[in-house]
Amino acid sequence: MSKRRGFSLLVVVSIVIAASCSSDESSTGDAVQSTSVATTTTTAPVTAVTDAPATTDTPSTTGPPPTSEAPAATDAPTTTEAVREPGGTLVAAISSDPGGLNPAITTSGGTHTASELMFNGLVELDANGEPQPELAESWEIGDEGATYTFTLREGVTWHDGEPFTSADVVYTFTEVLTKLHSRTAASVGSNITSIEAADARTVVFRFKQPYAPLLQQLDVTEAPILPAHIFEGSDPLENPANSAPIGTGPFQFVSYTPDSEVRLERNANYFKDGLPLLDEVVLRVIKDASSRVAALENGEVDWLFDVPGPDLERLSNDDAYDTLPTLINPGGSNCIMTVSFNLERPIFADQRVREAVASALDRDQFLERVIFGQGRVAAAPIASGIGFAHADDIQLPQFDRAAAAALLEDAGWVSDGDGTRISQGVEGLEDGTSLAFDFVHFPTFAAYGELFRAQLAEVGMEVTLTPLEPPVFAEKVFTERAFDTNIISYCNGQDPEIGVRRMYDSARIGSVPFSNAAAYRNDEVDALFAEAAATIDAEQRTELYRQIQEQVVADLPYFWIVETESTRLFTADCEGFGPSGHFAETASCS
Amino acid sequence: MTTRYAVWRLLQVLPTCAGILLVGFLLIHAAPGDPVLALAGDGGDEAYYERVRNKFGLDQPLVVQLGTYVANVIRGDLGTSYTSGRPALDVVFERVPATLLLTATALALSTFLGLAAGIAAAARPHGARDALISATSLGLYATPVFLVGQLMMLLFALRMGWFPVQGMTTARENYTGLTHVADVAHHLVLPVIALAAQEIAAVARLTRSGLLDELGRDHVRTARAKGAGEVRVMVKHALRRAMLPVVTLVGGRVGQLVAGTIVVEAVFSWPGVGGLMVSSVQARDTPIVLALFFVIAMTVVLANLLTDLAYRWLDPRVRYG
Amino acid sequence: MADVPVPELTGRPAHHQSWTAVLARPAGAIGAFLVLVVVVGGIIGPWVAPNDPFSVDGPSLAKPSLSFPMGTDALGRDAFSGVLHGLRTTLFVAGGVAAIVVVVGMSVGLAAGYRAGWLDQVLMRSTEFVQVLPRFFLAIVVIAMFGPGLRQLVLVLGLSSWPLLARVVRAETLSLREREFIEAARADGSSPLRIILRELLPNVVPSAVVVVGLLVAQVMLIEASLGFLGLGDPNVVSLGSLASEGQDFIRVAWWLAFFPGLAIVVAVLGLNLLADAVTGSLGGGR
Repeated sequence: MSKRRGFSLLVVVSIVIAASCSSDESSTGDAVQSTSVATTTTTAPVTAVTDAPATTDTPSTTGPPPTSEAPAATDAPTTTEAVREPGGTLVAAISSDPGGLNPAITTSGGTHTASELMFNGLVELDANGEPQPELAESWEIGDEGATYTFTLREGVTWHDGEPFTSADVVYTFTEVLTKLHSRTAASVGSNITSIEAADARTVVFRFKQPYAPLLQQLDVTEAPILPAHIFEGSDPLENPANSAPIGTGPFQFVSYTPDSEVRLERNANYFKDGLPLLDEVVLRVIKDASSRVAALENGEVDWLFDVPGPDLERLSNDDAYDTLPTLINPGGSNCIMTVSFNLERPIFADQRVREAVASALDRDQFLERVIFGQGRVAAAPIASGIGFAHADDIQLPQFDRAAAAALLEDAGWVSDGDGTRISQGVEGLEDGTSLAFDFVHFPTFAAYGELFRAQLAEVGMEVTLTPLEPPVFAEKVFTERAFDTNIISYCNGQDPEIGVRRMYDSARIGSVPFSNAAAYRNDEVDALFAEAAATIDAEQRTELYRQIQEQVVADLPYFWIVETESTRLFTADCEGFGPSGHFAETASCS
Repeated sequence: MTTRYAVWRLLQVLPTCAGILLVGFLLIHAAPGDPVLALAGDGGDEAYYERVRNKFGLDQPLVVQLGTYVANVIRGDLGTSYTSGRPALDVVFERVPATLLLTATALALSTFLGLAAGIAAAARPHGARDALISATSLGLYATPVFLVGQLMMLLFALRMGWFPVQGMTTARENYTGLTHVADVAHHLVLPVIALAAQEIAAVARLTRSGLLDELGRDHVRTARAKGAGEVRVMVKHALRRAMLPVVTLVGGRVGQLVAGTIVVEAVFSWPGVGGLMVSSVQARDTPIVLALFFVIAMTVVLANLLTDLAYRWLDPRVRYG
Repeated sequence: MADVPVPELTGRPAHHQSWTAVLARPAGAIGAFLVLVVVVGGIIGPWVAPNDPFSVDGPSLAKPSLSFPMGTDALGRDAFSGVLHGLRTTLFVAGGVAAIVVVVGMSVGLAAGYRAGWLDQVLMRSTEFVQVLPRFFLAIVVIAMFGPGLRQLVLVLGLSSWPLLARVVRAETLSLREREFIEAARADGSSPLRIILRELLPNVVPSAVVVVGLLVAQVMLIEASLGFLGLGDPNVVSLGSLASEGQDFIRVAWWLAFFPGLAIVVAVLGLNLLADAVTGSLGGGR
């Protein structure tokens, strides 16, 4: 029967065609280039490089944070002392297509997860969040914390062989980070007066006033350094290197196949002696959480950035796997899942309604059933990971349905029995309006929305879920402000200046994504944040942040649900991982 | 098959394509809000929207806009994806090979296995084999693609460890040449079976009933009376005509098969157009969604064209009309 | 899409198809029973459902038990109530689509078959055109532009699903047109509309029922697939989205993906069996 042969021939031919297509793609590596949207065309304050003479900025070494000169070789990790063999391939599962591979132009977790291994910051943060030298070999702090002078490491080269110099640092900060990286633009960008190169190995940062948190913001997540010779004179959002990056990091780019994988290989000239150990790192896109776990169990991947709770329970006692719990994510650290109320909407202009929502939420249930215990109920507006600023004894509204109902009655939302409450004398709304509002969320946060809807229904509020992918979410929430409530994973970073201030500062209302979503305005809070940023004394800062937290808890523009912790799960054949974006720098697989 | 018929049939494709474009155009204008949102996606800034408005002449009368739109599409310009900043068609075509591989293999496999199962069932109607095949195909026909895929993944990938659970290649290795082909084929097995299952059922059901019809006809009876073997009767006299509706079915089902592919790609993390489609809908990246729609609709039109020509070849008596 | 096996039904004089003949067949009886279960479940489900499908009523990921016959999901919501409400959604979409298909498909088919000539040409060219449109993707485009919602889903699936019915009805009408009883009616001076409604319509109903049944089964699968991909309305329970949520817990809570999937299988299988039985009792069966 010739038909039979014909069909099998067709099968083989089509396999060969597709196979050759896909290998073409990966060898040229020009698969995708991504520039992110209008959402990144932010309007951060322009940071001018001043032409002040270099001689005037001789630093004094009186600033409180210590000058660190630890040699690079010692900042190797942590988990094991045994000598490990170089070589091997690590396959890490990532949950979304990165879209682009330039971590300096976005805070997108997908991009950062896939690209941080190829870049470095001036410093890296150790397990305690303390800065350690990376591209900067040492630094001195002068003018009581208003001037930072960095001495750069010698002999560092870009993946294309060009030398790394101070020009790269100046370009990256002035043209990219302070304009396009939303957290760094909001914090460093709004405080800095100049960044300049004193010589090829020296960079000087000058601030309007003492600026305490800088060193915490110079790691690869908050401030990855780009090669000026590739980017200078181009639009950083449109540069082809965004999809085939050149960095200084432990691994260099090989190929990127959209929605499939990013392949990286060992940077043989890496400036940290003996690192990295792995020959290859492959970041494989697997969007479905259960499929990621299945792929690990089937031996197809070695490393998962996060694991659904029930699967973690099942696998963490298995000797074939190891775990690494951490508060640090490539997209940011110390993250709090936070509900924002749109204060410009009549329903939520009333503090009592916001408090009612907060009282109607059983946050323990979020902890147990949405994140399966991987984290903790948020105890204060600032994450517990920032020890000096976290006010752990502050009183947040507690779960109390009766109190929530009473608050709603009081605010003019009356119940007609079982269903949704309706308004009676609520300012700005016609009588009889239902207490119905939307809840905008990333599709990945659907479970938060489902539980939010269920819990609020118990007190007569009707919630409509609107799942939106990150770019549209940013547009709807921050530019159009077309939402009632939403949930955002606000990553606080290592210092409140990095990821907390942007949520409350009235200057941060507007189209910059993931800034002040509530449109919260409180002059006192604005002033306190400004004062805290300029204060060097640690105790004083603690006190200022405590006042801020008391005020925002009283005003309740947001409600802080849970602090999320993620647990990395990986095969026991591999070891030596770090939690940060450079997780594979020191890893090895047998 | 006459050349004239082929040419005439080819010409017929043109109005269909025009109609598909018209549907896309009408949807853009029927969508709530400013049509620029449907043309450019939901996340652009004002300046970008202004450029798009000019490009598509949105201040012109509707008929002029239609002309502009069609002209753009003919030039291969289906707009720019705002999430990637690249031409929508480029982004789509990048993912097409993986999807095509999956769909084409499943189509071939299901046609072959479906015919085989149908013949096996029809050879001894109402026997045990027929009952088994008929019941199985009825069950498969009613089972959603994702359920078949999930069950197969649980059973053959996780329980037995025979096949990978995700992707098109082994991430750990850099295979080239024949080992690469073998690797892709290994990854292809489960998705293809999951995708083909429903199709096999449909083809088998149709083949069986078509064959039983034919076997009861005079010319087959005559052949049998002349002492032709059962296999010969089946293949030579009945199958050719019984295949007619099968061919129609296969052509018509290409659209449905591509739809199934989208689902299977989601289950097995296959790097085709499926992931792009879903994320583009959720990101309201309408240029990509529309480009995918056009590409898939054209594929279906093409498949129908090929089906018609094949039909004609199988049964030269068929005349249009 | 000509994607369902269409029974080849030849014209025959008007007679009323007896449902007992259909139900006498095992396939018909089982099919009718399954369809009945689904329809009744979907209609009365929301009233008999023990819980609101969105509310948290039990422990997280509880196994099927007496109080939760299909278990609970991660948030502690009752999966049984979810499936009942999901069936209602499925029925709503299927019913809405069927209504549109019947109205459009019957009108086009009867008009084209009875009138012939240019009207037939125009209608059949349009039918062929709509038939090539890939329904599933058309639905996705509509979701992308109009947002997810049952109304637009019913509209787009209904307006793109009728061609098959139109073609079958037209073929039936063509073969009936020249039959004696039609000729007789014509000779009586009956108006075309009257002939179509009184003489032709009853005769095409049985085969139309089969086609609509098969189409509705497909629509259910399409709706489930859209829900599975996460493209359904998150504020309406659908079997597909339940199955999709269940996939996240497939290794620890099989029941979450299993029961919604089973409900779809039951509905689609029932419709197919019933359609088979109707075809069979019309003389197409062997």
